[in-house]
Order: sequence, then structure tokens, then C-alpha cells
Amino acid sequence: MSLLYTLKVGNLARKLEDILKVPQHAFGYPLLKPEGLTPGVREGLMRLCPSGAFAEAEGIFSLDLARCVGCGRCALAYPLGVGEMRSLEVAVTRKEDLVQQVDLERGGFLDPGPAPAPRRELRLPTLAFREVSAGDTGLTDSEIALLNNPFNDMGRFGFQVVASPRHADALLVTGPVSRNMAEALRRTYEAMPEPKGVVAVGNEAISGGVFAGSSQVLAGVDKVVPVDVYVPGDPPRPGAILHALMLLVGRMTQRLVGGVLR
Amino acid sequence: MGKVREALREGRPVALFPYGDRVVLWVEYPGGEKGVLGPTQAFFLGERRRFPSLAAEFPALDWFERALWERGFEPVGHPGLKPLRRHDLPHTFREFPHLHEVPVGPVHAGIIEPGHFRFSVLGERIVNLEIRLGYQHRGLLSLMPGKGAEAALLLVERAGIEPVAHAMAFAEAWERALGWGAPPRAQYLRRAALELERAFGHLGHLAGLFTDIGYAYGATQVGRIRALLQGELDRLTGHRYGRNFIRVGGVWREGQPDLEVIAAHREELARLLPRLLKNPQVLDRMRYVGEVRRAEALALGFVGPTARASGVGRDLRQDDPLYPGFTPVVRQGGDVLSRAQVYAEEGLKALEYALFFLRHLPAGPLALDPPPGEGEALARVEAGRGEVVWFVRVEAGRVVVAEGVDPSFKNWRALELAVRGEGLPDFPLCNKSFDLAYAGSDL
Repeated sequence: MSLLYTLKVGNLARKLEDILKVPQHAFGYPLLKPEGLTPGVREGLMRLCPSGAFAEAEGIFSLDLARCVGCGRCALAYPLGVGEMRSLEVAVTRKEDLVQQVDLERGGFLDPGPAPAPRRELRLPTLAFREVSAGDTGLTDSEIALLNNPFNDMGRFGFQVVASPRHADALLVTGPVSRNMAEALRRTYEAMPEPKGVVAVGNEAISGGVFAGSSQVLAGVDKVVPVDVYVPGDPPRPGAILHALMLLVGRMTQRLVGGVLR
Repeated sequence: MGKVREALREGRPVALFPYGDRVVLWVEYPGGEKGVLGPTQAFFLGERRRFPSLAAEFPALDWFERALWERGFEPVGHPGLKPLRRHDLPHTFREFPHLHEVPVGPVHAGIIEPGHFRFSVLGERIVNLEIRLGYQHRGLLSLMPGKGAEAALLLVERAGIEPVAHAMAFAEAWERALGWGAPPRAQYLRRAALELERAFGHLGHLAGLFTDIGYAYGATQVGRIRALLQGELDRLTGHRYGRNFIRVGGVWREGQPDLEVIAAHREELARLLPRLLKNPQVLDRMRYVGEVRRAEALALGFVGPTARASGVGRDLRQDDPLYPGFTPVVRQGGDVLSRAQVYAEEGLKALEYALFFLRHLPAGPLALDPPPGEGEALARVEAGRGEVVWFVRVEAGRVVVAEGVDPSFKNWRALELAVRGEGLPDFPLCNKSFDLAYAGSDL
């Protein structure tokens, strides 16, 4: 590590490139391999996945990253059908980009076209955000809090947590939004000044995750307030959350389109 | 009922939950072989969804009975029913005509789960605190029936902030229900992960406490080592919090944590923590603040470090043959400092045990598939915050009944007691000293 770098960011904080990588020992995000999806593999994957991330309908086999809990059993059991992505740059501005869809007849990914550009009014040099936990177990909240530790040190990118929604440019929401938190979430959002952005952090915030079938949750932040950025993961690693913030303020671009990294 | 009362007077309640249209009460008797923990026994109470309330006599059962009442059971003779998790039922706070009321939450200033606290204050002095939870209620228990082992574990790992402990208790209950057990290597790996989880959690409580008193040096040092230790839990389990690691019948994988690194962190903590906890600033802000007395801890059935810091020497690991010569860490003060001391000492011990388990891994498979069949069992695991309980009834590989209790559910009222008589600004400090999981009690 060069002296200049150390002087710039301190000697604990990691480089942004390192934060945005999946560590060697861990499983990244799964990536379908269209050529390996034989009928047997597809059936096996749907039976194997504990969270029901795989589905097949009308000649299209799909993998929803917002349902994947990241256990890696699919890639282990069917290496010809599933690989992995080693990057944490997985935040997206529209939910559909989290779903990989393979046209079985053609044997390739469906292309949803170019990713939409993020909102311009949120291109801010610094970003103050408020966090609301709306039914998360506490782990996603913990990952957001850890963005502040000496290794990630989000302050050097201009991000900070504020205590009041009145001081916030953005709202980070975790959890499937329990019925009992919906009103508090709505009011927090309404208390924020314009322009304001919302990031749904983690699978539960995107779709309800494993709680999607419960009558006690609304299954998704966008059922209550408009969402600008979705970041999948269970919980997402701090790097993935950092990428979501960078995407929100337009300092990084969306790389995941149609569920595939570009 | 006479027998139940006698059992509760001698022992302590472990869990109370519905079973068909009756309720079942699990009681732990005192005096096992090592003289501290005893066997548990189940008592079936009431019928047709009515059962006699014991909450007035045994306040540890109060929240359990309120939770049952919300689920359509009637505790006959309960002194004051109020919803815990459901917000569609009427809820009124206790009123004190001459006191000022300070409502706080559910959305708090920091990054923390939601809960509502109603303080009744005289000047700045807290006279009464009433806690209203349920904001994190996701209907988790209602999703359990019909699930297979893997799908059930996904939910169980979200039942509290300590996924390893929950998954381990659930897997053990399932295995025990089928008269099965995980192979020795898996047993050791599970415990290694459990101890790393404990150390990670305890260091988090300590870092939070230092932050709350403005002791930035302590918070940064502990936070740094904690972040590095999380990397080792990640290396062992493949998940930064240990999810997707434990399965019914064993564990899914075996990672490669760096034992030298864990040992080095332990040594650094062993030098650092005693010094930090003797800092005058720490002593000044933490000593004699937020006291919970031993009698209160016993009567209200507190568990884990909360109870041990108030002189109740109970730790489920005493009963575990894989922890040779285990003695619980006990402090008598019952204040914030005592709890911090328990976290520090237990954190160090947890790392020692993690190293012990990883260095003495028995040979053999990581998992064995349990046999088909049916049965039911209760299992308990000492998580960082205290006793995690899971009961499961399995038929043809599916959950028929599953009930779980997170330690936070038993400990929340300790906070009400701790802040009584304290200044309002000390609330965050007291709260952090318990660091309870909201989601865990809102199941």
C-alpha cells in the first residue's frame, strides 16, 4: 500500500475495489449457465433450492436474486447449470433486473434492454441517510452500521447517517415491512425534504424474502414508499450496500441488467 | 395445578406455548448433576383454549400468557392483558397523572430495530418505563407448520439476531424428535460457530457501550477486532453471521478459519479489555447505573448475561458434556458495568472454546441424514443473549408444531427495571447494556 494511499484514506480502510469484491472463501451471487440447463438440472434446481429462487414457466427458466439466500448449494450440486458472480455491484434501479431469465428454446438470457438512468436530482456530493428497520432480523441493520467501521469507512465517500428524517437525503429500509411498521415507515418518508431517495436493502425489503407468504408483512418496501434502488442479499455485504448508495447518487453505474453483470 | 405451582416454585419456566387447544408449560428443575441445571418437564394446562393464569404468582410467565392471549387463548384470571405483538388490538399505556410522559420510537435516532418506549418522568428522573414492541412481528411462527427441514431452518435463522444458536437449537430438537444425533465432527463445528457468534455479539455490545458514553478509543479498538473476527466466522460458515451453515443431521460445510489469527485477536483482547473497563470514564458512567437485582432477575426469569451479571449463575453450557470444566461468568453488581464485565470475560472464553473445538475436530462426516419417522422434542442452546428454546413436532419430514423462544423475549422487562430511578439520558446506555433483539421477541 502506497504512502499516498495511506495518507489519503488511513491505514485500515480498504480500497473501494476490494470492498466491492466477494471474499475468496464465500459464495457470490448465483449465475445461470443457459447451456447447462437440461430438464433434469432444472427440476433438480427447483427441488434443491430452500428459498424457491428458481422457477420455470412458458419456456422460460428464471432465477430471482431477491429470493436467493446465498447458500451456494445450487452451484455445488449442478456446476454445469449454475455458476457465480464475484462482484458486489449488484444494486439495481428496477426490480426486474434482479431476475435472470433464460429462454430455453433459444438457450440464452432474455435481454430487457438498457438499464434506466438513475434520477439526476440525487447526484449529490454528499449523502445523509436515515435508516428504518421495518421487520428485518437486525442483521441487515448491522451491515449498514458496519459501513461506518474503520475498514469500510463510508464517511470518506461522503455518506453519513443522520438521526432525523428532516436531515436526510435518502432513506435506507430493511425488512419485509411488517404491518405494524408500515405507518411509521410512511411517516418517516413523508417527513423527509425533497429531493429524496429510497434504497430497499436486502431480499426481505425487496420482495418479503422468506416472509413473503405471511399475512403480517406487506412483502416489499415499494408497497409503502417509492423505491429508487434495490440491493439484493441476505443480508447484502457492506460492499453491496455501498454500491447501492453510489448508484443512488450517480457516482457508479448499474451493472446488473436482466440479472446478468454487464 | 398444585403440582405445577410446586414445580414453578422449585424450578423456573422455560417456555409456555400452544399445543392443539391446550397449552404446554416447560419447567426446569434445579439441581442437575453439577448442581445448577436440572431436567425439564412438560405440564399440559387447560383445555379448549382456556387455561388458568399463573402470571400474578409467577411474573416470568406474564409475557408468555399475553402472547398466548393474542393467539386466541384465554388465561383465566390474568391481572392485566395487553397485546404484545398485535397492533390491531387496543393498547393503553399506564398513566401517572402528575408525571410527564416522554414517548420514544418506534423509529430511533441510530441504526437499530424499532420499538416504542413510554417514559414517565419527574424532572429528568425516570419513574416508570413501559415498553411496547411488536413492530418487528412478521408472523414467523405461523409460517412454520408444513415446512420441511430446510425451509423451516431459513425461518428459524431469522427468529433472532443469533442465527447459529437458533439453527442449532432447532436442528437438535428435530434430531432428538427422531432419536438421532449429528456426527461428532458436526457437533464440534456447530459449537465453534456458536462461540464465534457469541464473541462477535459480546464485542458488539461492548463497542456499543463505549460509543454511548463517548469513549471513542474503546469503541474503535473493540470495533476493529470485532470486524476482523466476523471475517473468521465468515470463513468458517460462508456467511458473515453464520446462516446456511447448520442443517438437521449436521452442518452443510466446513470452512477454513485462521486459528492463528483468532488466537492473536484473543490475546490482544485479553490485554485490551481489562484496561478499557478500568478507565475512569468507563467506571464513572457505568458503575451503579441501571441496576437489576438478583431477586428481580429470578422472579422475572431473566436469562443469559443479564441474569449472570445480577448474580444468577446459570448457563446451559454447564450441562453440555462437550464443554469440560465449564463454569459460568457471574457478577453480583447487576449494573451496566457488571454486564460489560460479563461480556468481556465471556467473549474471551468464547474465543478460547472456539479454538478448542476447531483444534480438536473429530474425524468423520459433516452430516448424516436423519431417519424417517415422527416425534417431538424440545432443545435449548445458550446463545450470546441467553437461552434459545425450540420445540418441534415432526411427521413425515414436515413440521407439525414448531415453537421458539428467543432469550430477548424473557429479558426485555429487565430494561424497565434497570432504568427506574435513572436519568432519562442514561436510557441508551442501559438499553445497550442488554442489547436485546426486537425481532426475537416479536416472532
